[in-house]
Amino acid sequence: MIENSQPNPNALQPSAPKSKHISLVTKPRKILRTVLAVLAIISIYSLATLNSSNLNLADAFHSLGVNLNAMFLHPSVGQDSWGQLLQALVTSVSLALLTTLLGAVVAFFIAVGAARNLAPSWLATGIKAVMAFIRAIPTILWVLIYSVVMGIGASAAVVGLTFHSVAYLVKAYSESIEETSQDTIEALKASGVGFWPIVFQAILPSIVPALLSWTFIRFEINFANAVAVGAAAGADDIGYFLFMAGNFYFNFHEVGLIVYLLLGVAIVLELISMKLRGHYLKHN
Amino acid sequence: MLKVIQLDKTYGSNKHSLKAVNFTAQPGEVTAIIGPSGAGKTTILRSINQLIRDDSGQILLDDQDIRQANKGELRKIRHHIGMIFQNYNLINPLTALENVLHGRLGAKSTVAGMLGLYSDDEKSEALALLDEVGLKEYAYQRCDQLSGGQQQRVGIARALMQHPKMILCDEPIASLDPKSTKIVMDILRKLAREKQLIILINLHQVDIALEYADHIVGINSGAIVFEGPTDEVNDGVLQKIYRQADQPGAVVTANEN
Amino acid sequence: MKTNYQSPQQFYRQRRLRMLIVLLILIGIYVGSMLLVKFQTWNSIVKIPAGLIWLFHNFIPTERSISYLGPILYQLWRTLLVSISSTIVASIFALMAAILGAKTTTPHRSVSLVIRFGASLLRNIPVVAWAMILLFSFKQSDFTGFLALFFMTLGYLTRAFTETIEDLDAEKIQALQAVGANYFQCVFCGVLPEAASTLTSWVLYMIENNLRDATLVGLLTGTGVGFLFDTYFKSFRYDAAGLIVLLIAILVILLELTSTQIRRAIA
Repeated sequence: MIENSQPNPNALQPSAPKSKHISLVTKPRKILRTVLAVLAIISIYSLATLNSSNLNLADAFHSLGVNLNAMFLHPSVGQDSWGQLLQALVTSVSLALLTTLLGAVVAFFIAVGAARNLAPSWLATGIKAVMAFIRAIPTILWVLIYSVVMGIGASAAVVGLTFHSVAYLVKAYSESIEETSQDTIEALKASGVGFWPIVFQAILPSIVPALLSWTFIRFEINFANAVAVGAAAGADDIGYFLFMAGNFYFNFHEVGLIVYLLLGVAIVLELISMKLRGHYLKHN
Repeated sequence: MLKVIQLDKTYGSNKHSLKAVNFTAQPGEVTAIIGPSGAGKTTILRSINQLIRDDSGQILLDDQDIRQANKGELRKIRHHIGMIFQNYNLINPLTALENVLHGRLGAKSTVAGMLGLYSDDEKSEALALLDEVGLKEYAYQRCDQLSGGQQQRVGIARALMQHPKMILCDEPIASLDPKSTKIVMDILRKLAREKQLIILINLHQVDIALEYADHIVGINSGAIVFEGPTDEVNDGVLQKIYRQADQPGAVVTANEN
Repeated sequence: MKTNYQSPQQFYRQRRLRMLIVLLILIGIYVGSMLLVKFQTWNSIVKIPAGLIWLFHNFIPTERSISYLGPILYQLWRTLLVSISSTIVASIFALMAAILGAKTTTPHRSVSLVIRFGASLLRNIPVVAWAMILLFSFKQSDFTGFLALFFMTLGYLTRAFTETIEDLDAEKIQALQAVGANYFQCVFCGVLPEAASTLTSWVLYMIENNLRDATLVGLLTGTGVGFLFDTYFKSFRYDAAGLIVLLIAILVILLELTSTQIRRAIA
């Protein structure tokens, strides 16, 4: 506004410094714009070169419409039975529960070593680096790798999923631990309390809400991952049925039904997490 | 009796350093350390229970040198030194009762400490101590629901739970209003008299120090400039304690600005 | 909960009982799940070290695997492109949806409800299911992966953006309204600049996330670096598969570091 409205600057204020340029663009803004511009260019390039040569987009979208109609308006169990599907769904939930619990316990103890306010900094840095590396490798690859060592099945799935959970939760937990005030820890140190009693009596009670909420988020992730593992690595859960229905039997109706089942679980989980959060907000 | 002899501590910057600090504090008395901010009051207090490692000197508590203690011995000594803080440093989501019982953790084995296993007697004692500081009806309240003055009293009860010989108080009333200040200081003086404790307090309010302390230690730029009974403190002494740093260095920085 | 008159012993007994119950429930869940999925905790834990040793033995890239570097890097690049473009395109749609859906800027409450419901639907369908649904129509092409990531990202970002806009200081927007700005002026001169850096943070976070998921989607839809991994893996060329794992890890970490830097710079 100021830049644009100066028809005759000399006449207006002769005593003011001549080239006083008032910029509305700050440095963070500039960086922001640059980043967005670069991302936009990459996207356009990417869309232009997307491999869709063997694809007639109009036909594809039309068939998508037909398929979605078959999936969501006419779901059915297909060649499997309700019993099989529900059992597979329970297996997926169990996988998620198991890997989250196992991961949470292991992660808590590792996180104590990774928190800068508790552990020596070489140890904390070392653990954090290893965890960052494990986290950077997608869960599904860990499961596939372990399925070679342990044979395809539940054990490989559990170990692979747990691996990634631990790495994720160590980061979350150790950051929560680092947020507890150094002063309260010092107060107990000053009265001669040892390391582990401080961890369990002072730090743990302070961060329980944060731990719960991270663990629950990880549970939701693990459920989605458990489905993925079934589809990609052949663990005997709902993901496997989804994969078979989609890739082998081409049964749209069954895919639709399974998606509905997954949605149902997801909605229940979201309700539980809202309840949990509400419970803790009330108590804080 | 607490006896500090020739205590030295050097930091990179001159601030908070200590130079040959000597003083004594007697059981049954309130001893106040006063001085301008940055003079080293906190450093002295934290050296006494070795939260800060000093460079040289002796700290004798009932003739035992705290500085010579190894890790295990130091934990035992610390267990008999209570400490209260400007920001109370309680575990907020826990109840007042649980925070008071934390005073016993230092006396327990690692496993009992981790699980927080307290005896019935300890639990009754914790409640009695809360009663003593006037907070019995708040025993089952979360600490972050208590006022600052109440939290500080929980802190005092936690320190008493350690069965201490001495309580170190690091600016205990700096965040409190006048009314709470009076309550807290009255409690501390009463404890010194009745339980024959050594009460050592860092204070930046001179008037409070003169009102409550029996013994005053004045410190300026890391060195003791006065030590004696409170009635010996006069304007001249206060000027000596609170005079501005007059080294040539200070003048140079003043000119630069 | 006024339990002022209980003794401390009672208080601790109650607390301990509650802890015990929670612990028993958790152990029950663990044992139940263990039996259901037929997982043997001890047997599997014992095997982990052997697994890691095997991993280091077979997955370390050798000189031979360098010959695979060309196709791997190309597919990695394609995967990165798909994760960025799907996020960016989704973020444009999500932004419009969020402006219409946020309580503070919505034209009508019913619009807000519809958008929230739709976003929740998109978000809660696992990415695997998206891949399966789209695979029917779009076959084995990059487009399948792009769309799968797009729909999921759209769900996530719509919710994140809606919450960001709702968290904005309502007074600032009211101030603009008081000056006489109309709806669009309010949105473009008040809401968007105010929220820009938070929104961008979310976009960067989603790009990171999508890069990870892109591998999975690729595996399922037979595209990108995930498919390449699957091919090498199933033909026992573990050193090449290991090279892919290593390169993915490096790329993800680089992306994380870059976006952390950017986030700090625009905050």
